Amino acid sequence: MKVQCELCPKMCLIGPGQSGECRVRINIDGVLRTVVYGYPCSINIDPIEKKPLYHFLPGTPILSIATVGCNLHCENCQNWEISQANPEDANISAYSCPPDKLVKLTRDNNCPSLAYTYTDPIAYYEYTYDTAKLARSAGIRNVLVTAGYINEQPWKKLLKYIDAANIDLKGITDDFYRRICSATLKPVQNALILAKASGILVEVTNLIIPTLNDKPEQIHQLAQWIKANLGGETPLHFSGFYPRYKMRHLPPTSLKTLDTARQIAMSEGLDYVYIGNLLSRQGSNTYCPGCKGMLIERSGFTILKNRLKDGHCPDCGKEIYGVWK
Amino acid sequence: MTRRKFINRLIKTGSVIIAGISCLVKNTNPRKFIRAVRLKKYPGRLKPLRDISKQCKWSG
Repeated sequence: MKVQCELCPKMCLIGPGQSGECRVRINIDGVLRTVVYGYPCSINIDPIEKKPLYHFLPGTPILSIATVGCNLHCENCQNWEISQANPEDANISAYSCPPDKLVKLTRDNNCPSLAYTYTDPIAYYEYTYDTAKLARSAGIRNVLVTAGYINEQPWKKLLKYIDAANIDLKGITDDFYRRICSATLKPVQNALILAKASGILVEVTNLIIPTLNDKPEQIHQLAQWIKANLGGETPLHFSGFYPRYKMRHLPPTSLKTLDTARQIAMSEGLDYVYIGNLLSRQGSNTYCPGCKGMLIERSGFTILKNRLKDGHCPDCGKEIYGVWK
Repeated sequence: MTRRKFINRLIKTGSVIIAGISCLVKNTNPRKFIRAVRLKKYPGRLKPLRDISKQCKWSG
């Protein structure tokens, strides 16, 4: 008997013994099963700036996990070795780490938060949900790093236990999502709006790929959409692309392109625009949108200086969007 | 054909049709899931937990 997975907009119709597009949700005897629950392939402690989250507990370590599998198949995926892998692949192994063990690991390593990242937590939804619920009750904050390709009902349910999210807005046209990511734009925009409306801290990442989504008019359009639907205070990260997976024929994004994108987004009224994957002095720091004074100075993932006073600019007193403690 | 035989045949034919339709519906209408059930045994290779304090090589 076939089963239908209603977790993400792909709505996979899965035959007996087959898996959905994510490779990790399988029809076994007419029941949809998740094979990666409690089995992350990666557990590491990262600086929170690596997610990237610049407005959420800056300078703190975050326990970060992922299982194999992803519901998207981006041709430029930076982590394709795990996101496009099957659990049974010989070169990828996993840890046995059920939610309670993961929460204990987070606490034992003095991490104030736990990130569901690297691949996509939507693919390991049940593991994310149960761990986040347990972590919340233990006083640990939960962070999602996701493409946001999920249906409304499970997304709202998960957001109840999430404190912050970095959500990719990979492009601003449906054509880009269809051609490059095997997905569609509308559900991602919907997930972004719902996340912001739920009250969690939201930061957005846009990976700029030369020739595909780097035109100034596309950047204008992307920034305008963020300003109109999420608010000008929403931090936006422009990340540099590196030739990976099925896109080894394209050059890496230049610093000039990222700088131009940053200028465009700021001219459209976004207060906090950053540059990632390439070292940029101005594009790494947080500046006050009121008096333009420097608030947080960063070098890579390291905080060099943090001048914020209780989430406010020490010079003009403007409140800065974020969760600072 | 007596009335009794006719009714018996009608009931038999009706039952066969209903059974056929329900079988067809069962096979064409999939069971719908949002939450998947955990599979206890991992189909891949497991490794022991090692030092997790190092920064991860994966992006994100």
